[in-house]
Amino acid sequence: MEQKTFFIRADYCTGCELCQIACSMVKEKAPNPARARISIKRLVIDGLMIPYICLNCKKPACIEACRRKAIVKDAKTGWVTIDKEKCNNCALCVGACPFSALVVTPEKEILLCDVCGGSPKCVEVCPTGAIQFVDREQGVEGPTDRAAVNMFEAT
Amino acid sequence: MTEKIAIIDLSSEQVTVKEIPEELLRMYLGGEGLNTYLLYNYSEPGVDPLSPESPLIFGTGLVSGYDVSSSRFEVTAKSPEGEGGFGTSNCGGHWSAELKLAGFQHLLIKGKASRPVYLWVHDGEIEFRDAAFLWGHDTYECQELIQDDLGDTQVKIAMIGQAGENLVKFANVMHGLKRAAGRTGMGCVMGSKLLKAIVVRGKQALQPHDPERLLEVFKNHYKQITSTKIYPVISRYGTLTIFCVANQSGTMSVRNNQSNYFEEAEGHLDDEIFEEQYKTKTLACYGCPLRCSHRYKINSGPYMGTWGEGPEFYMMAGFGPAVGNADWDLILAANTLINRYGLDVGSSSGYIAWLMELWQRGIISEKDTGGLNLEWGNKESILTLLHQMARNEGLGGMIGQRASRATEEFKPEAAKYLYTQRGMMHESPQNFRAARATALGEATGNRGSDHLKGRCSLEFFGMPPEVLEKIYGKPIASALNSWEGKPWMAAWTQNFTTVIDSLGYCKFATIWPGSTHNLNYGNFCETLNAVKGWDITPGELMEIGERVWSLQRVFIQRETGALREHDIPPSIYFQPQPLEPLKGEKLDHDSYNQALDEYYEIRGWTKDGAPTDETLVKLKLDKKPTNLI
Repeated sequence: MEQKTFFIRADYCTGCELCQIACSMVKEKAPNPARARISIKRLVIDGLMIPYICLNCKKPACIEACRRKAIVKDAKTGWVTIDKEKCNNCALCVGACPFSALVVTPEKEILLCDVCGGSPKCVEVCPTGAIQFVDREQGVEGPTDRAAVNMFEAT
Repeated sequence: MTEKIAIIDLSSEQVTVKEIPEELLRMYLGGEGLNTYLLYNYSEPGVDPLSPESPLIFGTGLVSGYDVSSSRFEVTAKSPEGEGGFGTSNCGGHWSAELKLAGFQHLLIKGKASRPVYLWVHDGEIEFRDAAFLWGHDTYECQELIQDDLGDTQVKIAMIGQAGENLVKFANVMHGLKRAAGRTGMGCVMGSKLLKAIVVRGKQALQPHDPERLLEVFKNHYKQITSTKIYPVISRYGTLTIFCVANQSGTMSVRNNQSNYFEEAEGHLDDEIFEEQYKTKTLACYGCPLRCSHRYKINSGPYMGTWGEGPEFYMMAGFGPAVGNADWDLILAANTLINRYGLDVGSSSGYIAWLMELWQRGIISEKDTGGLNLEWGNKESILTLLHQMARNEGLGGMIGQRASRATEEFKPEAAKYLYTQRGMMHESPQNFRAARATALGEATGNRGSDHLKGRCSLEFFGMPPEVLEKIYGKPIASALNSWEGKPWMAAWTQNFTTVIDSLGYCKFATIWPGSTHNLNYGNFCETLNAVKGWDITPGELMEIGERVWSLQRVFIQRETGALREHDIPPSIYFQPQPLEPLKGEKLDHDSYNQALDEYYEIRGWTKDGAPTDETLVKLKLDKKPTNLI
């Protein structure tokens, strides 16, 4: 079965944060970017915006790091989710994740994207295709390196 | 959610936080509306705009952070540039929503710091921090230094460059790399208070009255904005796309308004060349799918390596045709410079164009310019004047310090070629003498010569009368140069733009630039009712626009007295346009005055342009400050 996950094209990210607003409105019932399950970092004085979100790794480092077995990967869909009943916000997963996907809220709570059951709201409102949710075997077209080049050349 | 205002006294370093009464929000919304109320109530009549007693007010739009394309804030103070009149300016970016998320809707700043300071606003707290290490640095350097000082790369900063520090009359408050609260010298007021920056970080939740409904509204408005015909164009080129249309339709200001079409621009200045040769990245304001901003880099020539963000149409036209230049490199080099210094694009390019015309006519010579050659399009001189303005040196420095009063420094005939209104530079890059509603709407703007309030974009498309009547509620002529219905169109547009700036929306997400399917009053009500739980109607919103507009009038009346004589466009509007298209078009005094009378009547103002007592009662305005906060 096809498994879908996120692909990031940072070069297309305009830093509008619509993804964070939409995510928090769905998950938190309020515009609250600090508690969105996706985060945008603005680097080199607005020269580069990078979206961070769970990429549903094939072999998730967060699961290995978690001592309470709070994070699970669904064998069928491939999606990685966190069980907040088991999680004690110890943040071991935060350090383990190679993609900086776990969100630490101002209250030091750990949050993780749950792909909105397969139709993520953040992707719906991204106007440029900077975040896409597609078959992981197919990937998406477009360069992954331009953003890095621009980061150094445009400043 | 209760909206809060922080009253910040720089002299005593005291902060008082108050809740904004619901009745004031319902009367003035936020942003420009409530800022106007605060300015009228908190400044003593006749106050010197650069004295510690003169308040400087920052206000986020009432729905900023809640809806798409709504992240704009307003900066308001008595204007040092506009001959003591009304000063206000609207700015996009990320600062507005960030301030909301930090727990504040308005900041009222008074007093004067004893040394350079910056304000650190985060999650309900406001700290005064030393800014000695920032003083003298441009806005780009300043941001890097502040990020380092606070150990946070995600802070949002509103600040002044050297122009504001040196009290240039047309210094801006800047945000990010290009966002500006421009015109009327808000950066000059900030500099006079020794306030270098207001740095904001907000991690709180906004609390809409009805979250489910707000999510629906948010989704619908997103869909609406991204399905208009203007969307693919604005999201690719931004306002640069206006340039070719404006030039080819003969509304461009060429060489300080001496001509209306710039042939040299063909094949050199357009949005596609910018995209191909300079653009490195597309950027957007908070929560906005329109992404009209660009980052650029110059890859060859004398300005190689120069980078920045912007430019907008007014930059392109102001440092293009207005000063007789057809070189993109120079426009971008000037753009980086004015954004780093925090100079206003309209005023700085307008005064340079004026000086160049004086040079052309032999009214000034090298003796007056300190050796600068001011031939049209002289790149080195243009950039030198910008450096001088910001640093208060030489001829440019004098212009920066004196603005419209610079005429006193030259022979009397010099004044004839300076096109200002209420002491404000006529927005030089374009002139709309052929477009009657726009000419009237801009000229009666409370800031003076104001396309952002008075430009009636729908006037330019020759729309069928029934479409116009549906939008404006009254018959309006389709023809550009007809006066029929135009005073109503001008007043309607001013009220509309005032409501937009009070709510925090971007004008490009509304019907203002000419896209009839974009957001309108009905959509604003949807957002407000979901956010505040009100039952507000388009009629009530229109009345708010009228109320704010008339209160600004009362302010001008109180501060300067002069009204009608300043509601007349600059003299160039009454001379025929020299080139096709629109050759020979001009305003004539009789029909303009007639239209002005009709406009005053629509507004419920006297023949002198002041609101009547009945109008004040109708709009629930008191001449005596009510001080409800």
